[in-house]
Amino acid sequence: MTLPSRFCVTEPHLLEADGIRLSFGSRQVLADIYLRVQTGQITGLLGRNGSGKSSLLQTVFGARTVPDASVRVNGHRVVPAFQTPGLVNYLPQASLLPTNLSLGQVARLLRVDWEAATANFPELRGQFRCRPGELSGGTARLLQVLLLLHADTAFSLFDEPFTGVMPLHLETLADEMQRVKPRKGLLLSDHRYAEVLALCDVVYLLHQGRLLKLGADPRAELCDYGYLAT
Amino acid sequence: MAIIITWVRAVGLFYGNVAPFMLGITALLLGFVLLPALYEGWADGLLPALLLIKLITSPVVWYLSEQMRPNQYWLYYNLGVSRRRLWVGVGVLDGLLFLGLTVGLQRLYS
Repeated sequence: MTLPSRFCVTEPHLLEADGIRLSFGSRQVLADIYLRVQTGQITGLLGRNGSGKSSLLQTVFGARTVPDASVRVNGHRVVPAFQTPGLVNYLPQASLLPTNLSLGQVARLLRVDWEAATANFPELRGQFRCRPGELSGGTARLLQVLLLLHADTAFSLFDEPFTGVMPLHLETLADEMQRVKPRKGLLLSDHRYAEVLALCDVVYLLHQGRLLKLGADPRAELCDYGYLAT
Repeated sequence: MAIIITWVRAVGLFYGNVAPFMLGITALLLGFVLLPALYEGWADGLLPALLLIKLITSPVVWYLSEQMRPNQYWLYYNLGVSRRRLWVGVGVLDGLLFLGLTVGLQRLYS
């Protein structure tokens, strides 16, 4: 089987990443990583500040070059992944939106149907002509998540998608992610662990450079590994 | 074809971000070197030197852009366009623009 020139998002896909080792100076941030994301699942990534969550997401996306890193989709190596059309998009912690473009222009560039992306957020539809500087931080964040969520890719990686988003919108956004997941694999990292645990089918904890898959009682494990106090 | 169209759009958009640097250097070279040379009549054979200076200033533009806007690439990555492809496109576009303006001015004064 060969790698298709463009991914068909109606078919299930499996994204795997391993061999990722990353050090900053003498501190090893990532070691012995095996990550698996698949269509139909929302995968969560938790970890303390500085544990390497963003670096891991960027490595999987392909924006960060790590020697020996292997990122595969359906068994085929895809490095850097972002250069394969229709495969993956990524929301960074920083703003994705250039200050000189309106949201409508960004939606057109990403080939996203604005009406569909904001269908469950009627109060946001009117922001089509707004530029990022004209929006509140939470609204801008939410719209960035929606644009990438509704983009025609097989996978979406979100780094802190819930930052600044108000609780009412968080609930709708979680529903939106559940609706999208049958045709898309989602990987998200956020410190709002309660929302992450409730939303995700699989949760990983990045602890001392290793990726641990949490089991049936994730809260207890998060306490054991020092991510939660109680 | 869609990939090329996306790349062209991305390069155009990115050029808009770095244009103040690149066009600024172009304006300085043309305004303070080429125009006086044309006016005073010593512009023959000046084009290679101007192109060389333009080429030498490119790393400065790249460095300033990287330092001032370290997060500017995320949208382009999401369009499937790498940093290298962006800069290659911008280099070609800016080079052609510079060449066009230089040759145009020379013809205007000849």
